[in-house]
Amino acid sequence: MNLRFDIMIPELFLFGWAIVVLTADLFFIKEKKNALLYMSQFGFLAAAALVIFTPTGPNEVGFGYMFYNDTFASFFKIVILLAGFMAVSSSFEAVQKSIEHKGEFFGLVIMSAVGMMFLVSSTELVSLYVALELSTIPLFILTAFQKRYLKSSEAGLKYLILGALSSALLLYGMSFMYGMTGTTVLLAGSITMLLNSANVHYGLVLSLVLVVAGLGFKLALVPFHMWAPDVYEGAPTPITSYLSVASKAAGLAALTRIVYGFYTVGTAAEYWGILIAILAALAMIIGNFAALLQSNIKRMLAYSSIAQAGYILVGFVAASQLGLSGISIYIFAYLFANMGAFAIVVAVDHKLNSDRIEDYAGMARRSPLIAVCMTIFLLSLAGIPPTAGFIAKYKVFMAAIENGTLFWLVMIAVATTVVSIFYYARVIKEMFITEREVESSESKWILSSPITIAILVGLIGTLIIGIYPEPFLELASTVTQSFVY
Amino acid sequence: MEYVIFFASAFVAIICALLVISQKNPVASVIYLIMAFVAQAILYIQLSALFVAILQIVVYAGAIMVLFLFVIMLLNLRRDDFGPEKHPLQSWLTRIFGIVLVAELMIMISRGVGQSESMDRAGAEFGNVEQVATTLFTKYVFPFELTSILLIVAIIGAVVLGKRRAEEEEG
Repeated sequence: MNLRFDIMIPELFLFGWAIVVLTADLFFIKEKKNALLYMSQFGFLAAAALVIFTPTGPNEVGFGYMFYNDTFASFFKIVILLAGFMAVSSSFEAVQKSIEHKGEFFGLVIMSAVGMMFLVSSTELVSLYVALELSTIPLFILTAFQKRYLKSSEAGLKYLILGALSSALLLYGMSFMYGMTGTTVLLAGSITMLLNSANVHYGLVLSLVLVVAGLGFKLALVPFHMWAPDVYEGAPTPITSYLSVASKAAGLAALTRIVYGFYTVGTAAEYWGILIAILAALAMIIGNFAALLQSNIKRMLAYSSIAQAGYILVGFVAASQLGLSGISIYIFAYLFANMGAFAIVVAVDHKLNSDRIEDYAGMARRSPLIAVCMTIFLLSLAGIPPTAGFIAKYKVFMAAIENGTLFWLVMIAVATTVVSIFYYARVIKEMFITEREVESSESKWILSSPITIAILVGLIGTLIIGIYPEPFLELASTVTQSFVY
Repeated sequence: MEYVIFFASAFVAIICALLVISQKNPVASVIYLIMAFVAQAILYIQLSALFVAILQIVVYAGAIMVLFLFVIMLLNLRRDDFGPEKHPLQSWLTRIFGIVLVAELMIMISRGVGQSESMDRAGAEFGNVEQVATTLFTKYVFPFELTSILLIVAIIGAVVLGKRRAEEEEG
């Protein structure tokens, strides 16, 4: 038993900070509650700084292999904290308008980030499961936070029920994993001792299918995606953005820990390769085609994020150093572009009270800067140079091609990318080409400073990774070192 | 004798579980669920997991299900509160897929999991209170402490979602 509290300082700090924010809520008068937002922003940034200074490596294991701070974990922690920072920043208007319990709102966002940080560091089934619940239960609450808005309550309930169902599937699968190996530690090799007995394959496949289905719900993979569009539409928009990036990144990290750690990669083709490849193909096809039909921008981005999860899985199936570093860069690119796009959706929703794509018409004339930013984010999501999305897609596809057996999957990925350009371009077309009667009373929009920060961070991230990707690629290649191939 | 008890309680558990999902009346469902839990508790005792069995009865069959029952009675649901009937094709497909899933699970479990060598590794003192407490506070202390954060979150959530609006309280 090694109580390594020193390697979980960022998590402990952030948890303490959540309590501080919750308590501070009591001391601010109603007009000064904005301070809570600035406090949460500070918390996320400070925790990110602490993550950078926390030692990483094969020796940083605590609590008997339950908490492992490798480069993989700390990379995902940075992603989660940045997503939290941008979500909190973009929530300025929404919180002022329609959120009543502001302290609890920010406190729960931070708590959820704490859960996700524990999740990406968990290398043991019990702690992984508890951390997963800790990251999703605050999200159920946050989804239902706008109690006056019927869709929000409905979304919260749907998310809760499907979340509970997926947890049950996941636990069932985990119980088989434990039953067959007698250990809950997810380290490469716990499975190899099993491979001697021939019949054990059935048990492995069973546990694998259940675990992938359980995590598939959390990641909103097709065919476990039914909840996503409704929840994304009903939740407060900043929470939607947080859901679509942070919870996806954390779920993906958990999937990586379980699949790469337990169903070790040497036996990939035999056990999980084809299963995940099919899920990736379905996610790309259904996500992209369904997004074509949407008229609400939040629903469109929901389907787009389902498709993006498919592209990420393409790198995941490649099961190589290249694949995993491709995923890392992809998540980074997706983080900036998606959070930025959602920040603009929040701004438009605040000014026009609408999420419909038609209402983006004439945006280029009204506020050209916002329209240009939105265009860059959407182009990055579609994967068009010189944005981050292009580099990310390129890396992921290259990894899959080098694998040798995945050419068909890359073909589907490229074809569906072309489809995706249609619906991203539709928004751009509305903003720049469609004429709209502009009322004389409408002045130029002035955005609050927190939301401007969120958009700026997204913009800078998207462009820098797109134009000068080398340092990020180098960073991404260090992420993979704790996995065996 | 052991087999008789096993098959009797397994049979009761399965029948009650089926009745839970086939009943139209939610109160009856809850009562069958309690019976299924008690039957499961007997299975746990047979596996010498005494502590789990006691928890199953005290926490699940006792506390949680009583709470369930009260909530259902308070809500006083009627048939038409459940929304329109499902399309018959849909409900048949659900049944077919459900049966296929159960068959698959049984094949996989009997051929795969049952064959694993580590299945009968549990020691004699497995599952008593002392053993559970020791593992909980030594080996699994980290997830155990994490659950305390989880409880804080749950309390906050219950308060936030259950609290009335400020205007309602005044008015």
